[in-house]
Amino acid sequence: MSKSNKPYLPPRWLDQILKVCCDPDQLEEIMGNLHERYQLRKVRSSNKVMLFWFYFREVLAYLRPQFSRRIRIDNPNHLTMIERHLKTSTRSILRNKTLSLINIGGLALGITCFLCLYLWIDAETSVNKFHKHAEELYTVYFTETTPQGKYGNYEIPFNYVDTNMDGSKILANELKAQFPEIREATTYATSYELPWGHACTFRLKDKRQKFEGSVAGPGFFRLFSFPLLAGDPETALSTRSGIAISRSMAESFFDSHSDAMGQTLRYENVRDFVITAVFEDVKDNSSLQFDYLINWDLTHNDNILLSSSGINTFLLLEKSASPEALQAKLQDFLQDRLNSWEMDVTLGIQPFKDQYLISNFVEGKPLNGRIEYIRIFSVVAFFILLVACINFMNLVTAQSIKKAKEMSIRKVIGSSRYSLIMQSLTESILMTVIAMILALMLTWNFQPIISEITGKHLIMPLHLASFWTLILMLVVSIGCVSGFYPALFLSSVKPNLVLQRNSKPKGKSAWLQKGLVILQFSISMLLMVATIVVSRQTHFIQNTHLGYDKENLIAVRIEGKLTERQQYLLLKQELQQMPGIQLVDRSSEAPHNMGFEMMPPFEWQGQAKGEGVSFLPTSVGYDFVEIMNLQIKEGRNFDRRIASDSTAFMVNEIALKQMNMTDPIGKWISAWDKRGPIIGILKDYHASSLHDPIKPLIVDVKEDLDFGLILVKTQPGATIEALSSMEKAFQEFNPNFPLAYSFVDDEYSALYNSEMIINKLSNAFASLAMVISCLGLLGLAISAAASRIKEMGIRKVLGASVSNILTLFSSGFLRLIATAFLIATPVSWWLLNTWLDGFAYRVHLSWWIFIVTGLITLVLALLTIGIQAMKTAASNPVTALRSE
Amino acid sequence: MRRSDLGEFEELVLLTIATQFPDAYSVAIAEALEKDLKRTITTGATHAAMQRLEKKGYLTSRMGESTAERGGRRKRLYAVTVAGGKILEEVRQIRETLWSRIAPGAIPEIQSLQK
Repeated sequence: MSKSNKPYLPPRWLDQILKVCCDPDQLEEIMGNLHERYQLRKVRSSNKVMLFWFYFREVLAYLRPQFSRRIRIDNPNHLTMIERHLKTSTRSILRNKTLSLINIGGLALGITCFLCLYLWIDAETSVNKFHKHAEELYTVYFTETTPQGKYGNYEIPFNYVDTNMDGSKILANELKAQFPEIREATTYATSYELPWGHACTFRLKDKRQKFEGSVAGPGFFRLFSFPLLAGDPETALSTRSGIAISRSMAESFFDSHSDAMGQTLRYENVRDFVITAVFEDVKDNSSLQFDYLINWDLTHNDNILLSSSGINTFLLLEKSASPEALQAKLQDFLQDRLNSWEMDVTLGIQPFKDQYLISNFVEGKPLNGRIEYIRIFSVVAFFILLVACINFMNLVTAQSIKKAKEMSIRKVIGSSRYSLIMQSLTESILMTVIAMILALMLTWNFQPIISEITGKHLIMPLHLASFWTLILMLVVSIGCVSGFYPALFLSSVKPNLVLQRNSKPKGKSAWLQKGLVILQFSISMLLMVATIVVSRQTHFIQNTHLGYDKENLIAVRIEGKLTERQQYLLLKQELQQMPGIQLVDRSSEAPHNMGFEMMPPFEWQGQAKGEGVSFLPTSVGYDFVEIMNLQIKEGRNFDRRIASDSTAFMVNEIALKQMNMTDPIGKWISAWDKRGPIIGILKDYHASSLHDPIKPLIVDVKEDLDFGLILVKTQPGATIEALSSMEKAFQEFNPNFPLAYSFVDDEYSALYNSEMIINKLSNAFASLAMVISCLGLLGLAISAAASRIKEMGIRKVLGASVSNILTLFSSGFLRLIATAFLIATPVSWWLLNTWLDGFAYRVHLSWWIFIVTGLITLVLALLTIGIQAMKTAASNPVTALRSE
Repeated sequence: MRRSDLGEFEELVLLTIATQFPDAYSVAIAEALEKDLKRTITTGATHAAMQRLEKKGYLTSRMGESTAERGGRRKRLYAVTVAGGKILEEVRQIRETLWSRIAPGAIPEIQSLQK
């Protein structure tokens, strides 16, 4: 034993933990035991780490319910105490009806916002995670380095010319043969040749219907877990004439999906497919969407669906494989085989489950995408919840005058501080529970609205334990966070001070309250500025003059008999004479999305060596400029009376600039197998989304265009007539295909789906945040009015006018809102500028947006406070002062 | 006998308390057990067991004098009660009966030890 009077002491913080946790009655003995044991160990060993470790274990051993301070289930007093707390809480909630209503209402609104956003975020982040092998699925992307920079894409060139061997190879097959760590590989392509997926026609006897589908390698169902209702995943896509169709597609042709197996469907009137499998309809939570799947080899070898773009390669790795190692090997894979490629190309892999959220390429690597919006709205959800909690805290603190008296009396009577804190917490948790029930009901009712806004089918997962865990966690954390401070603050009040009527929240608490109000309004203003800017930008997108006329323009795919020139010309003639239709022409590309940028071979007169421009190429009919209402800056339009115009070109201003051409009319251009003069310069117009700058455009006339779109310009206001005319004409000239049309302006809007969603979401949530904040302010004003009613009474008696009192009463609050304004302005300016930078064409942040936001907030706040202020100012001082 | 009334660890604690009488208290018991069982025994575990035993009526306790090595804190001294003694005796009898019934060769090591 140590001889010194001062024995060695173990780590003090561990003792502190015990002091907090253990039953005070047993503490003496416990601490005695621990310290004595520590001395004993110390004598035996001098290893400090071991000593600490032993002591730590000793302390841990005492952290059991038996010795703990509170949780004593066998003590019936605690049950009655909880019962009593609940009873008192209910009474107190009912006593202050207005404030409780504001409090619970605000909280319920906040939680509702949070839950709605949670539903959306949860749906977005769970996309593609349902696959059994989700963890081992990878997408191949490629990066090409050009003199202009690095570009990345998921769309893999599906074949490449092997310099050592003849013929083309399919990347998926090659990779699987080359690398043993790849268990399965498949090619997958949306079968489109247009920028939006197009539906293909299937026929069974007289039934004709259009469906959108994809082509996939035979291993598709081994990689992805789309459940099959009939058929074998191994063989579903192994034959060239086989087709796998969805349940609803099967049911639209047959009585039930089991009847469909082995039946034959005629495809695009050119070919028969035998149904080899029926799969369950693909749900929202998959980024691969298709009604049917056909064998990739078939399309590849028979050229019936030659896609040049939109082809993905997916890999399923062995569980033990290291994706990093494979990635490193892939870097070199193509280099050995691609001597003829001028560009520097490398391959990379990315987890498939991330592809939906992360699909933007920065410096050739996937870096962001939808995930940005998810992040933004996660923060928004958190902030809205925070605003609601702040309200709660503030209101409870604001009631402290009344409460402080109650607490003091309890204290004087003999309540312990612990029991006072528990009382406060019970009250706030009870209120949170009520708010949560309300919020769940509200969210239930909002489900369809949120689903419509986000374009996803969102349902509260009431059957999932994880959802209820979240709800429980929310209740506990909101209840504790928003109730804890007031509880601590109130229970620390010194009874003698309060009972002597010196009872305003002072010092720290007043500051905290002010700070919280400022924070709350900063967040609301930030959201409001964001709403204004986002909706201005979306409005700008919708209404910018694009340089062409997207109204009254209907697009129909060129298919079936219409691929024959003569048939098309007859249809055109017929259509143009029918009611409601102004003009008909063809284009190889969709007007709103002239998709594929092409690099050389483009040559032109006076081209410097090594100079190249990547063009958006379009082949059109003679009436294209007229139907699109394009402006010609210089030169003339295509003219069918001039024979040489069939080899002529038109370009836009940007193209001219990039080709470094002056005095262009009459100079030759060579593209594809044609060489001809430039006859006209088109004024620049937006041929793709406003995210991108205008690109060089080259237009030529192609009289035997057998793909692309038929564009129909309808007479304004005669859409219905025009459609019935089209129905008739197409039935006559292309009888085997049902008419499927789309409006160009709708398709244009669809380019901005995410922006539209953001616009609607931010509209909804910014206004809700403002409502919640104002509710909070209202609550504060009510309690302020209650606490200052005597002061105001005295002022009135001494001669203050109503307006004096109004100013006096409001100025404090208004100062807070002004401060919030000063904080919110720079923050929101910075955030929104960052967002707007994603657009090549965008609105500018004008000063008035901030002023308007400030004014709206001010007016709302004034209204909220004003009502209370008026009440106070107008009240009869006699009532207020009578009790003195 | 309700065997569930006395856990194995509790039995050991109870026996050790009997051996240490009249100076049996948590730390000393933990130390003794640690030596006998050749594994780390925390005071907390022993203490908990002793509290349970006391609640079951097998132990009584009283506060002792304060000592310097405990930083002036008092210790609680334990003693086995009549009921405690009874149950120890019962357990012992059961064990001995069982041992006596084991036929030679039923447990290999025992035979080799006897040889």
